[in-house]
Amino acid sequence: MRESLKRVVVLTLIVLISSVVLYQAYNVMEVEERTAAYEQLKFEKMLQTIFPSETRDVYNEENDFYRIYSEDQCIGYAFMTIGKGYGGDIKILIGLNNDKTIKGIEIIKQTETPGMGVKITEKWFTDQFGNTTINEIGLKRSGGEIDAITGATKSSRAVVNAVHETVIEKIKLIEKAGEKK
Amino acid sequence: MNEFLMLFLEYALVKNFILVMFLGLCPFFGVSKKLKEAIPMGIAVTFVMLCASVITWLISQEILIRFHIEFMEIVVFILVIASFVQLIEMIIKKTSISLYKALGIYLPLITTNCAILGIVEINFQEGYSLLGSVASALGAGVGFILALSVMSGMRERLELSNVPKSFEGLPIAFITAALLSLAFVVFGGIGL
Amino acid sequence: MKIKELTKGIVKRNPIFVLALGLCPALAVSTAIDNAIGMGACVIFVLLLSNLIISLLRNLIPKEVRIPCFIVIIATFVTLISLALQSYLPELNESLGIYVPLIVVNCIILGRAESFASKNSAPDSILDALGIGIGFTISLILISLIREFLGTARISIFGYGFGFPFAPINFFILPAGAFLVIGILLALFKKKGLVR
Repeated sequence: MRESLKRVVVLTLIVLISSVVLYQAYNVMEVEERTAAYEQLKFEKMLQTIFPSETRDVYNEENDFYRIYSEDQCIGYAFMTIGKGYGGDIKILIGLNNDKTIKGIEIIKQTETPGMGVKITEKWFTDQFGNTTINEIGLKRSGGEIDAITGATKSSRAVVNAVHETVIEKIKLIEKAGEKK
Repeated sequence: MNEFLMLFLEYALVKNFILVMFLGLCPFFGVSKKLKEAIPMGIAVTFVMLCASVITWLISQEILIRFHIEFMEIVVFILVIASFVQLIEMIIKKTSISLYKALGIYLPLITTNCAILGIVEINFQEGYSLLGSVASALGAGVGFILALSVMSGMRERLELSNVPKSFEGLPIAFITAALLSLAFVVFGGIGL
Repeated sequence: MKIKELTKGIVKRNPIFVLALGLCPALAVSTAIDNAIGMGACVIFVLLLSNLIISLLRNLIPKEVRIPCFIVIIATFVTLISLALQSYLPELNESLGIYVPLIVVNCIILGRAESFASKNSAPDSILDALGIGIGFTISLILISLIREFLGTARISIFGYGFGFPFAPINFFILPAGAFLVIGILLALFKKKGLVR
C-alpha cells in the first residue's frame, strides 16, 4: 500500500511542478501577446505589399473585410479567403481597388508541393492578379488572363477559383455595407 | 460527409504519415520486414490513433480551452497517450495471451510513436471538429497500414535478392522508401 | 570529466546513423540548414535539461512509474522550448512546425534518459546529453546540406548564402529525397566501417 502511494504521489508531484513551471513561463515569456503581435505584423506586411502607400485598415466585422484608408481616403478593400489546393488549404489575401478591380493578392499560407505548387507564392505568379477585372480572373486555357504554373495546374487553379469566387461574393457584401453608411 | 471524406483521403494519401510526413518511422523500419507482423502493428497503431484522437479532443475542448491552459497541451496529450497504451496493454494481457505475445515489445513502443502524438497535435493545431479528428485519424491510420504493407511486401522480396553488401539492411530499405514516397506524390491529384 | 562520454555520441553512438533513433524530425526538417540548426539546438536543450533533472532525481523516482515521470519531465522542457520559439523566434517555429512538440516522443531523449541518465551521475549525464545532442545536430546539418545544395542550388545560413550555377534538382526537397539521402549516407558509412 505504501509503495503504491509513493508512486502516485511522486508522479502527481512531478505533474504539479510541471504545471506551475509552465504557467509561469507562459506568462513571463508573454507568449500570447507576442504571438498576436507577430500575426498582426505579418498581416500588416502582407497588406503593405498590396497597398504600398501609408495605410491603415479598419475591420468590418459583420462582413469580414477590411477598408483600407490612406490619409482619410478609402482607397480600397482587403479580405482573406481559403482555396482548396493540392496539399491542403491555401490562405490568400486579396486587395480590391475602389473601382472593384483587383489591386493584388498575396499567398499567406500554403502547403503545396515544394519546387512546384509552392511557386504560387512567387511574385511573377501573384503579380498577374494585379490590376485585373473580375472577368480576367481565370486560367489562360479557360479564357482568363492568368498563366498557370507549369506542372502545378491544380495549385494555380485553386488560387484562381478562390480569388474569383471570393471577389464576387465580397463585392456584393461591400456594396451592401456601403449602403448602410 | 464530403468534409469527412476529404480529410480521410488527405491524411491517407496526400499527407501520408510515413512517406510524406515522416511520422511513425521507427516501427516502419523495424517491423516492416514481414507482412504478417506489419498488418497487426498497423491496426494497433490505427486503433490507438482513433481513440487518442477522440479522448484528446474531448480534453482539449472541456479542459484546455475552457480553462485557457492550452500551454499544457504537450504534457496532457502525452500523458493521455501513455496511459491509454498502458491500459490497452493490460487489457490485451488479460484477454488474449497469444495476441500479447505477438505484439511483444512493440506495444509499449506505440507510446513513443510519432504518429500518435502527431495526429493528436495536428487535430489540435488545425482545430478539427470531433468528426474531423476521427476522419484524419482514420485516414492517417489507413495510410500508415498501406505504406507499411507495401513496404514489407517489397522488403520480403529484397531479402531474397542480391544487394551490395554496404546497402544491406537499412540503406536499401531507405532507398525503397524513397521510391515509394515518390509514387505517392501522384495522389495529390484526387479531386479534393 | 570523461571526454569519451562526450565524443561517443558523435560517431560511435551517433543517434541517427548508428542507433537509428530520432529519424522523424531528421527527415522532415532537413530541407534547409537553418531548420537543421534550429531543431538541433532545441533537441540539445531538451536532452541536456531532461538528462540533468532525471539524473538528479534518479534515486527519488520509483522504478515502476519512472517512464511516465520521465515523459512528463521531458514534455515540460519541450513545452518550454516550444513557448520560447513561439515568443521569440516565430519564423523558426513556423518552419519546424509540429516537429517541435514531437521532440517529446523522439526516441533519443527517452532512450538516453532510460538507459543512461537514470543510472549515472549528473556530470556524466550532462556530457552524454551534449555528445548525443551534438552528434544529432551534426548529422542533421549534413543531411540538410546535401538536400539544400542539390535541391535549391543554394546554401544559406541565417540569411547569408550563395547560389550555385546549376539547375536545382527538386527531387531532393521532396520527402523522397530525404529517404534517398539517408539511404545513401548509411550505405557510405557502412562501407567505411563506421556503421555495422
